[in-house]
Parts: sequence; structure tokens; C-alpha cells
Amino acid sequence: MIRVILGSVLAGAFIVGLGLIGLAAGGSRSLNAYLTLSGILFAIGMFGFLARRNAISMLMAIELMLNAVNLSIIGFASFDEKLGPSGSVIALLVMAVAAGEATVGLSIILAIYRNKKTPLVDEYDAMSQ
Amino acid sequence: MAIGPTIPFTAIPWDDALFVLLAGTMLASGLAVVLMRDIIRCGLAMMVCFGSLAGIYVMAGAPVVAAAQVLVYIGAISVLVLFAIMLTQTKLAPARMAFQTQAVPAAIAAVVLLVVVLLAVGSTTWGGGPDRGDTKTTDVATMLFGPFVLPFEVVGVLLLAAVIGGVFLAKRDRSAADRPE
Repeated sequence: MIRVILGSVLAGAFIVGLGLIGLAAGGSRSLNAYLTLSGILFAIGMFGFLARRNAISMLMAIELMLNAVNLSIIGFASFDEKLGPSGSVIALLVMAVAAGEATVGLSIILAIYRNKKTPLVDEYDAMSQ
Repeated sequence: MAIGPTIPFTAIPWDDALFVLLAGTMLASGLAVVLMRDIIRCGLAMMVCFGSLAGIYVMAGAPVVAAAQVLVYIGAISVLVLFAIMLTQTKLAPARMAFQTQAVPAAIAAVVLLVVVLLAVGSTTWGGGPDRGDTKTTDVATMLFGPFVLPFEVVGVLLLAAVIGGVFLAKRDRSAADRPE
């Protein structure tokens, strides 16, 4: 019980501490905060794409990167009134393309899994044999 | 009863508190997506990440995009990913290592990219307005079905092609399945 409470308090402190990055970058009323969050999320996604072994984890990291780009588009659109509605439209189009990409990517992974019986990308070595 | 601009009994504005919570949840769950060992937990953390991102879109004044984020990402893509995880998880060969051998260079590359991006963001003065503006949904609709109608139609064709391609790729090959090994 004590461990559960302590763990939740630690997790909450961790979340608030990470969120203070956004506040330090200017808060919700400055463009820099959105761009900083977007850059951090993109870096997280890039690390995941380069470092994970599981093909589906890599796809999830790609989704994170796409969301980071969307966040920066929305941030720019929100602070430039000439860009406002166009930014939302571009973000919607990016989402549609991301949905198509996820569909095709996951079915490719399923097709490879059916042949190789493993979802780990470092065992996909058919080209090097 | 109207809600004041700050949290009662403190001087903290509501939007800063919300922004800190949403940003922290987004970054923490994004880290969990990348770092956790159990891949199904990664998928669930991804849903949390997308949800808090939808909240950030609302704070940035783009409610249509937030609604589409909830529908498309939490509703569709996360479910797709979770199904793919369940279809490809094997008990026979559990992944001992979640990361490849190149994890350390990948971390260095990610940190370098992060520093470059943060320096670029910090040293540029963007020419936008000083305050954020809310995007009206009617403006988005006028823009989507006016100047952007050709990309809209092209995206429709792209989604059709993606659906057909996905079905074709994931379809079990009958002749190969029936053939004795």
C-alpha cells in the first residue's frame, strides 16, 4: 500500500517535472513552448525508431514523430492569424496520411511475420544471405 | 458559478496548470512508449500520449484537430497497433532485449537532434502574433472544401489505395498455405 502511494506520488512528480519544461519554455501562451514540446517528442520518437528491436515498436515511434510534426504545425497556425485555418487543414491531411501509413506498415509487418515467425527486425536478414 | 482565471487560493493560472499537466503526461507517456519492455504497455502508453496531445491541441486553439486526433489516433490507429501486437506476440521467443545493440548511438543521435532543435527554437524570433488565436470551425471547413479541395480528394484516393493495399498484403496466401512443405 505504501509502495503504491509512493509510486503514484513519484510518477506525479515526474509528470509535473516534465511538464515544467513546457512552462519554462514560455507556457501555453508562447509559440516556443509548443515548438519545444514538439522537438522533444520528435527526439523521443527518433530514439525509439533507431533503438527498438520490435518492428511494431518502430511503427509506434514513427507515429510519435508524425504527432510531433503535427504539434509544431498546430503551434505555428495558432500564433499566425493568416495561417490559422490552413494549419488545421494541413494537420488533418497529415493525420489521414498517417492512418494510411499505419495500415500499410502494419500489414507489411504481418506479412513478414507470417514468413519469418518473429517480429524482431534484427532477424530479418534475408537480403544479407 | 464562473471559474476565475486562477486556481482558487493560489496565483497559478488555470491554463498554465493544465498545460503543465498535459505536457508532462505527453512527454512521460512518450518516454514510456519508447522505453518500456512490454510492448502491449507501450501501445497503451501511446494511447495516453495521443490523448494528452489532443488536450494540447485544444489549448492551442484547434478544436477540430483535437477531435480528429481522438477519432483517428485513439480510436483507429491505436486499436490497429494493439491488434497487430496481439497477432505478432509469441510466447516461444520472448524478446530478451527490447533494444538493439545500436541503442547508445541512437540515444546520442536523439540528444544531439534535440539540442539542435532547442537551440534553433530558442534563437529564432518567429514573426507571428504575440498571442494565440482560436481557429473557428467554419473557417476550417471553408478552407478544406475551398482552396484545399484537391488535396482532400487526393487523400481520399490515397486512403482507398491504402485500404486495398493493406487487405492485399495481410491476406493469407491460399495456394502457399495449402502447399505441403
